[in-house]
Amino acid sequence: MAGRQKTGNFLGRLKLFRAIRHLYSTNPQDVAETLLDIAMMHSDSLIARAREGDKTAQSKLVQLWYKRIYNFGYKFFYDHDLAMEVAQKTFISMHKNIAGLQEVTRFKSWLYTIAVNYCREEARKRKTNRAISLNDLKPGEGEESYRWEESHQRRENPERQLRQSELSDLLQSCLMELSAEQREVVIMKEYEGLKFREIAETLGISENTVKSRMYYGLEGLKKILEQKKITKETIGYEL
Amino acid sequence: MNYKPDEGTLISYLYGELSADEAAKVQVYLQANPEELKKWQALSNTKDVMAHVQDKEVIAPPIFMDDTKVVSFWNNNYFKTVMSIAASILFLMVAGKLLGTEINYQQGELKISFGGKKEQTELPPSQPLLTESKVQEMIQSSLAKNNEVIAANWTEDQKRLSQSIRQNLAQNSRKIDELMKTASDASQEQVRGFVASLQSENLKLMKDYFQLSTADQKKYTESLLVDFSEYLKEQRKQDLMILQTRVNSIEKNTDQFKQETEQILANIISTPMNKSNRNSY
Repeated sequence: MAGRQKTGNFLGRLKLFRAIRHLYSTNPQDVAETLLDIAMMHSDSLIARAREGDKTAQSKLVQLWYKRIYNFGYKFFYDHDLAMEVAQKTFISMHKNIAGLQEVTRFKSWLYTIAVNYCREEARKRKTNRAISLNDLKPGEGEESYRWEESHQRRENPERQLRQSELSDLLQSCLMELSAEQREVVIMKEYEGLKFREIAETLGISENTVKSRMYYGLEGLKKILEQKKITKETIGYEL
Repeated sequence: MNYKPDEGTLISYLYGELSADEAAKVQVYLQANPEELKKWQALSNTKDVMAHVQDKEVIAPPIFMDDTKVVSFWNNNYFKTVMSIAASILFLMVAGKLLGTEINYQQGELKISFGGKKEQTELPPSQPLLTESKVQEMIQSSLAKNNEVIAANWTEDQKRLSQSIRQNLAQNSRKIDELMKTASDASQEQVRGFVASLQSENLKLMKDYFQLSTADQKKYTESLLVDFSEYLKEQRKQDLMILQTRVNSIEKNTDQFKQETEQILANIISTPMNKSNRNSY
């Protein structure tokens, strides 16, 4: 039994080593991100250990998934603070409840379920508290913009970087015009890369409903983009 | 070919989540339907545009999740429960001691008492002082006494009643006698005067009545006579008129009869003459 586990670990490491070697031979800038993806894919053992109460494994899981959950929250709210709030709550909940996770393979949809629930909770709270605070200012408008924390594109052309950032904000504002139901499906599919089956599992709805929401979400976005005169061609020209 | 992919299939095709067969079918369908292809391409373009939303870089904050709670013995729930039960039992015991609580269960009877036992002096078994016969005698004697008292009261009441009746009768007879005396004391003259006045009054009344009645009767008879004479006159007139009319009618009848007989006679006379003339021709 122990021997088989050791062989499995060895094969996993070998695959990881080959993938890293292959990536180093291509674009060195993307290595960090892709490594993270590989690490995510090979995180089953990490999840299993975290489920058994391994604190190190749990904190590694947080490091691995924090960016994804934060970005999910950010795209849902278009608000840094709320995204941070959702991410923190999600990982605290993960830490408390991971022992009850039935299947390791379902960790991804389980984690997104927690995140979606906190997003909905925050949205409800925000609906009731309609007072606008200074924190509701769009990112980049405040003096201490966290945009300066973004470091991965520092070596790029600053003008191009600014344009990309502006376009991203513009598209994000288009995304915010969708209904919450369509938005969460679009974010999960388009930016989080979940499969339709996983989204259905996360939201507790049928796969057909997910597909329908995605279809009408894209249709809605098409109309919004048309209104704002954003096309593939104009983007290509701008960038 | 009737195959038409639904929205779900198209979106799955867009994200490459269809099986090879299904994808081929959709591809053929889109090639055959340029309108649908255009729609699908529009969706694809939207997807490509939306892919430009960048991920935000964020550093995961340190989350301290060390929740191994060191629970001291004194804060242990089990210890707390046991101690609270023990304290409540002790409290009950002390309260029971101070209040002198005593709980007894004898012959299916539960007794809870406070303040300790009261010393009860046991009385010697009482012996019956009165026998049944004595009680009977006592009842008899009391009944006899009671009867005597009732009888005495009865006779007294009778006496009182008869006395009061007699007194009342005597008073009444006295009053009647007095009345009779006063009545007899009235003088004969007064009576006669009264009677005479009554007679004269009656006489007057009678006279007036007769006087009045004779005058009225006269008037009445006169009026009757007048009426009767008028009636007779009227009757006579009417009779005369009737007679007149009858006489007139008789006259008319006789005249008519005369004329008729004359006509008949004329007819009789004329008819044979004509007959005789005809025959002659």
